[in-house]
Amino acid sequence: MSSTEIWLSIVAMTIITLATRTVMLVFGDRIPLPERVQHALRFAPVCALTALIAPELLTEQGAWAISLANAKLVGGAIAVAVMLATRSMMATMGIGMAAYLALRHFG
Amino acid sequence: MIGRALFGRHPHTAQARRSAWLDGLRVVAPALIALAAWGLVTGVAMVKSGLTQWQALGMSMLMFAGSAQLAALPLIAADAPVWVVLLTAAVVNLRFVIFSAGLYPYFRDLPLGKRMALGYFTGDVSFALAVSRWSTQSPPQQGSSERTWFYAGICCGTWTVWQISSAAGIFLGGGIPGTWGLDFVAILALVALVLPMIAGPPAIAGALVASVVAVLAAATPLKLGLVIAVIAGISAAVAADILLERLRRQ
Repeated sequence: MSSTEIWLSIVAMTIITLATRTVMLVFGDRIPLPERVQHALRFAPVCALTALIAPELLTEQGAWAISLANAKLVGGAIAVAVMLATRSMMATMGIGMAAYLALRHFG
Repeated sequence: MIGRALFGRHPHTAQARRSAWLDGLRVVAPALIALAAWGLVTGVAMVKSGLTQWQALGMSMLMFAGSAQLAALPLIAADAPVWVVLLTAAVVNLRFVIFSAGLYPYFRDLPLGKRMALGYFTGDVSFALAVSRWSTQSPPQQGSSERTWFYAGICCGTWTVWQISSAAGIFLGGGIPGTWGLDFVAILALVALVLPMIAGPPAIAGALVASVVAVLAAATPLKLGLVIAVIAGISAAVAADILLERLRRQ
């Protein structure tokens, strides 16, 4: 791509991103959402975050990788345990990361 | 001086706005580590895939959308047609449509410009933190100004940290080896972020189904799997919710 094309793409992607982020905020009055749908959307945060996380922990090269050899899965599982036990974000990230790096280098 | 320009002249409302804004910053603070790691990774990826430093900086400042940026990069590097790049960005951002619908009930009374501004700053983290907090409170009739300023506080945190960490990635790019596993730090931060939100059987059902569907659909082009997983997860959560309600009534 030429420099102009890249800048054009960046500007166009900015407009597209803004459109997706604001469409219902702008047209919410004209596209009324049923009460039930609005109610259901309170589960969106949990689902969006877990959908981002799961493939990172549970797959390797696009295939299920549920084994102790999967350093990300082991690190993630340890992080879950630490978070449930301590409620500390720093401890969760520190211990999870240490487990992941240890397994990757010595596993 | 700055405080007056930002929060308004009347001491009473200014006080309320400021404390709501600070509250938002406090709530988002722990999640900023995740964003910083992600911003760094995205910054490095942008310059390594052939964008100039200015293009990368422009992309980060304007789009402010990590996953769409990361999805577009290999296409730009591979000289794909512009419409393919745009379509990819649009599809990767489809989940934002769900987010904007989720935010609408809380911001419906604001003027159009403000609604659009708050929408522009919405990301996975800001949406998740705000709505998971508000949905446990009473209906959004009252205190909408406080909600707005609370959300503004969250977004100030996410935008600032994203831009600084992206810029660091862009300008230090070459010096950061890929083996540091920075992307995994961001994932662990998300784990810590989402766990407290998974409270009650409906949320557990939603999380489980969203996870399984996200993995099964991971190979779907354009990250469409993410959107399918979110919709499946929400459906499962609602089904569990209805089921529980029926059981309780019997």
